[in-house]
Amino acid sequence: MREFTLTDMERLGAFDEAERTFQMTEEAFRTFYELTARPVRVYLGRMTGDDRLADDLLQETYYRFLRSNVAFENDDHRRRYLYRIATNLVHDHRRRPHVEVASAVLPEPRYPAFTEPNLAERAARRIDLQRALSHLKPRERSMLWLAYALGWSHEEIAASIGVKTGSLKPMLHRARQRLAGLLKTGGPS
Amino acid sequence: MVNAVLSNHWPHSCDERLVAHALECEVCCEVASIATLIHDDSERSRYEAHVPAAGQVWWRAAIRARLDSTQAATRPMTWLHGITGAAAIGVLLAAISAAWPMVMPMLDRGWAMAAGYFPSADAATAVANGVRLSAMLGLIAAAILLLAPLALYFALSDE
Repeated sequence: MREFTLTDMERLGAFDEAERTFQMTEEAFRTFYELTARPVRVYLGRMTGDDRLADDLLQETYYRFLRSNVAFENDDHRRRYLYRIATNLVHDHRRRPHVEVASAVLPEPRYPAFTEPNLAERAARRIDLQRALSHLKPRERSMLWLAYALGWSHEEIAASIGVKTGSLKPMLHRARQRLAGLLKTGGPS
Repeated sequence: MVNAVLSNHWPHSCDERLVAHALECEVCCEVASIATLIHDDSERSRYEAHVPAAGQVWWRAAIRARLDSTQAATRPMTWLHGITGAAAIGVLLAAISAAWPMVMPMLDRGWAMAAGYFPSADAATAVANGVRLSAMLGLIAAAILLLAPLALYFALSDE
């Protein structure tokens, strides 16, 4: 394999070049990044179940975003496009040789109620949720997260994961039912 | 209902009728429960998430962009090398096939001169066949020796 390395001078030149190559200035990027990085990192973390991989994919997501040639209509469009890149990266990664997410021995799951849980109960619920999510298909995870963590509309979710809007509602319903079932039983039967 | 959950108004700060309906309706109960759970996890995970600084992400992206553009710039050269290699192989094969009819009469003349030294015609024929085979193998070996470095170059390059 031929390895490419950059000298210090080339690295310095890379910054000037970046301003021309990337679709936004460094200052605009900083503002956009501060607004989006944490939610995207959490999304990637939940989609992959692997913090290291999520960190790598976060960098890749922003790199691809910066290199994109899309004319964005507004910030929402920009944000949706970013999630679309992240979703595709997760799916691409899944298509490579499969790595099973390790499931730890976790406390007895419980179905959520409409009462305010205490801290310990909340932590237990989050662990249950992470475990249940790890048993869902990547697309189901994406749909549920975009719908209930980010509050996206069906149209936005459909565009992001690449399905027809009409198909999304039953898919989301099935995904929600599966997740509820997994939360009740504590795992796949 | 989802909006109420996302705006942290569920269940205490929203319409009581909505909550009452959610408790009775199986689907809405499920929606409210799942949305609450996911939203709660999302909110808390945001505070816990460690993300690199924006400048660091920008810097890495800039370096990566430069590397990618360097690779893209060398790609045509690699293609050119490939085409040159293929042309060289073609020329070599053409030269071998063109030279072969000339080599054969030379071998025959050489054989005619050397035939007198052999004790019998059978021995002479066997030696002649061996020489012909050796010449062919020699040409193939020469071709391989010429092509092997090219093949190695393309096998070890990244394109």
